[in-house]
Amino acid sequence: MSYLTVSTLEEALTSLSDSSGKARVVAGATDLFLQDLPHSLVDLSALPEITVVEEKDGLISIGAAVTHTAAASSSLILARARALAEGCSAVGSPQIRNIGTIGGNVINAAPAADAAVALISLGAEAVLIDVNRETRQEAVENLYWTYNRSLVDSSKEILLRLLVKPCLGGEGSAFTRFAVRRALALPMVNAAARVKLENGLVKKVRLVAAPVRPAPTRLIQTEELVINQPVDKDTLKRVEVSAAGEVEVRGSQLRCSARYRQHLVGVLIARVLKIAADRADPGKAGD
Amino acid sequence: MILKTPEKFTRQFGKAESKGYQSPEVWSKVTGKAVYGIDLTLPGMLHGKILRSPFPHARIKQVDTRAAEALPGVRAVLTGAELENRPFGIAVEDELPLAADKVRYIGDEVAAVAAVDLQTAERAIKAIKVEYEELPAVYDPVEALKDEAPLLHDNFPGNIAWQREVERGSLSAAFTEADLVVEERFTVPAIHPAYLEPIACIAVNDPYTGITLHTALQSPDAVREIVARVLKYPLSKVNINGPVMGGGFGGRVYGNLKVYILSALLAIKSGSPVKIQLTREEEFTAGRPMIAAVIKMKMAVRSDGTILGREADIITDNGAYSAQAPWVSKTLSERNDSVYRIPAIKTRVRLAYTNKVPTGQYRAYGNQAANFATESLIDIAAKKLDLDPLELRLKNCVREGDTTVHGLQIGKCGLAECLQAAAKEIGWDRKKAGRGYGLSAAIHANGSLVFDKNFRGASALVRLELDGRITIFTGEQDYGQGTHAAFAQIAARALDVSPVQVTVESKQTKTAPFSTGALAMRQTTVGGKAIQLAAEDLREKIFKAAAELVGEPVAMENEVLRSISGQELELAEVAYHYHSATSGLRMTGEGKFVPAESDYDESGYGNISLTYSFASHAVEAEIDQATGELIIHRLVAVHDSGRIVNHLTARGQVYGGAAQGFGMSCFEGYLFDQGRVANASLADYKIPTALDLPQIDPLFIEIEDPAGPYGSKGLGEIVMVPVLGAVANAAADAAGVHVTDLPLTAEKIYQALAGWECEL
Repeated sequence: MSYLTVSTLEEALTSLSDSSGKARVVAGATDLFLQDLPHSLVDLSALPEITVVEEKDGLISIGAAVTHTAAASSSLILARARALAEGCSAVGSPQIRNIGTIGGNVINAAPAADAAVALISLGAEAVLIDVNRETRQEAVENLYWTYNRSLVDSSKEILLRLLVKPCLGGEGSAFTRFAVRRALALPMVNAAARVKLENGLVKKVRLVAAPVRPAPTRLIQTEELVINQPVDKDTLKRVEVSAAGEVEVRGSQLRCSARYRQHLVGVLIARVLKIAADRADPGKAGD
Repeated sequence: MILKTPEKFTRQFGKAESKGYQSPEVWSKVTGKAVYGIDLTLPGMLHGKILRSPFPHARIKQVDTRAAEALPGVRAVLTGAELENRPFGIAVEDELPLAADKVRYIGDEVAAVAAVDLQTAERAIKAIKVEYEELPAVYDPVEALKDEAPLLHDNFPGNIAWQREVERGSLSAAFTEADLVVEERFTVPAIHPAYLEPIACIAVNDPYTGITLHTALQSPDAVREIVARVLKYPLSKVNINGPVMGGGFGGRVYGNLKVYILSALLAIKSGSPVKIQLTREEEFTAGRPMIAAVIKMKMAVRSDGTILGREADIITDNGAYSAQAPWVSKTLSERNDSVYRIPAIKTRVRLAYTNKVPTGQYRAYGNQAANFATESLIDIAAKKLDLDPLELRLKNCVREGDTTVHGLQIGKCGLAECLQAAAKEIGWDRKKAGRGYGLSAAIHANGSLVFDKNFRGASALVRLELDGRITIFTGEQDYGQGTHAAFAQIAARALDVSPVQVTVESKQTKTAPFSTGALAMRQTTVGGKAIQLAAEDLREKIFKAAAELVGEPVAMENEVLRSISGQELELAEVAYHYHSATSGLRMTGEGKFVPAESDYDESGYGNISLTYSFASHAVEAEIDQATGELIIHRLVAVHDSGRIVNHLTARGQVYGGAAQGFGMSCFEGYLFDQGRVANASLADYKIPTALDLPQIDPLFIEIEDPAGPYGSKGLGEIVMVPVLGAVANAAADAAGVHVTDLPLTAEKIYQALAGWECEL
């Protein structure tokens, strides 16, 4: 097995094409040893262009190799994409957050990856480049193939960055999760919301819950239900019922029954919507 | 030392500081320098691996090892057919070193291999072909006791590994007189001690010295005897050297006998040292967790809160083989009866064989499972009678001078004080709205007078070294409890020296005095007393030799040895004087602590221990009504463990024991799927993290107990016991409903709140 830590993107792409499908990209590699080890690995974690969080052309650009710890403590993300900071600080344990990257959280394609759930609620787009030097931009929720399998082929394509529209006046976001314990536990349910209010009414909303399907799942019916509604007690009660009713989930002996998980989807979606709406208070500047 | 040491590293502990004394062993652990059993290697060492049954219950038709033996690098392959078919065991003789004709759980040992490296050993294991004939299996202990259940062991009819029925006082009178009868069924899953270091053993066979096992054990002497018996080796030809132990919590009293026996057999057969190390998965699937239990309990109470009687029907789940499960079942079924003055009890306990992982012991020996049941039932009764749970407990709790329903003689006892202090500290009289409060109480023995009637006590040697330092030789093991720091302090106090002058040696069965082991909370009380006596004996010998040296009486004062005319002597001078006068001996004090025999009778009535420790815990908790999440804000842990020898390690014991109590209350437990362990990893078997623990406040009611050294007694196992009842009662107080199935997960609490049919 070979392990190459690259210092330029060009070097990374060249070594991928030279390995003709036998090498794959890693960054934090925290989940790598849970899988069969590939022939060779190309480590992107030292690439300067994908380890920064910056504001560019009115968007927040988060490098794919930004660690969860860095994202959770970025002042830009905390101020303008709070759900992502909350999602990142919920991942694994401090050791994993210090090494594991946001890009890995997405490409690893776990159905309830905390950062990915937050990103999808925020409407994040992924910027990718392949071995032919072609770039594309794709909504994060469209990168999933099936359980724990991404549509992104890490032997040919590199996720460069994630782009998020910042939450400005009238917009807020939030993330929450419910698990057997408070660290090192996959969630029974995690949920995230982004909401835009005008005159106290919901104008735009994205509600995401997981694990529901292979990818973190938007609850479209519940989103439609709250459009033009105030986020008050009555709406939240209806959101809870609607969200739980909208999903079909599986139970597991290790985590919880399907019925309880479905109930939790309702409770958690209502909770994140409320928190996001509080943060969207136009009196405050965004998150 | 020739190397100059910076000032900050040369901290000395005088007597005033000794209550916070930390032994140097602690530093080697936290700096990663300690050498544990899993770290050890020896020159020429082979790696052993065990082939395990994939079936819960099957007959072995044929074992073909030819392909494994033919693999390059394989040095020994062992099957049950090569061994005498003679069962061994700890409490019940029902195990063979390797299965001969039948396997009884997924993980049962079928063959073992030693090879030059682990990969080859693993390949060899896979190359062994075993033909099985599957048999019907039984997983539920209640089902296992039914007539139609498949039988695991031909010589244990009805799948009963052990049972006991006992009645004391008149139970029928108690229930006739009662104003209230409360009754509930409680279930507790199997629990793994989850020590961080998996069990590992290197066996060395030497024609001159015999078998040496390099493995860390809480009771090396007990394991040594069993291994010698199974191997048919003379006892003096089996020795155990203990490396540093990576946690034990009861799980390493006997550890995993199969690992020790198989590594020894492979060492004999291959002629090389053999190391077997369990994987974490093997720890869960073929280790020795504590028994699961189904406890049906009924209590008779008068309207003023007086407890009149208690009836229990308990079924414990043995798994396929017994280990210590019969003893754990016995403690589970009766120890808790002595917390309160209960005049009549009736208990039936049956230990059932099932086709699952065999069971052993864990901190507190099942006393915590009984605490969960009894203390929950007391709160249920208090609520029905509209009585304060604190008052009900104070009305019934045992006190000094009592003889309990099982004949336990209660000496010094601060249980009532513990209850009052726990309630006061948690804010029992000023409860916050929206919060739930729970109390519970516990008793635990300090060593056993009856477990082995020939070894009720302990012995120790304390030696004056030529440089004036002190060495303690003891069979009592320290694996993080702080026992050896306490022993150093006890000897230091008797000799009037600083504890840093004292070293404790305990790791080699060949040289250490015999000990029944680090179990039953006996070490400080019983082992410590022997050390006190040995140190006092040495002190007298020092005085005698020093007096000879200076020609006048001497005394020790403030760590200085001085004659009556004021001449100061170094301990090293006295040591050397004795050494030369005896042509080479070192001055050694002997301590023999032999408690009086107990009046314990055939029925199990009588005093079982030198003395008892007591505790009361109080918990403040909150329930998230929408999810059922139990949020525990605080635990107050009040303990009567006599005079505390070392407050630093005592607090450490409380933090650790409370964390394990929370683990068992809210997180942990084996999950099975058709006999297969469904959560056989630390990712899926969830022990709590630091984030999951509440604020834990230890308090000590320091009532001097003359039974132990300098008024102290045990504080180890008992810490875990009252956590269960206190958490369950606080949860029930907050939720308004008792969940009687451990662990108390958010889902179970929510189901109870929502009135769902139980789906788990």
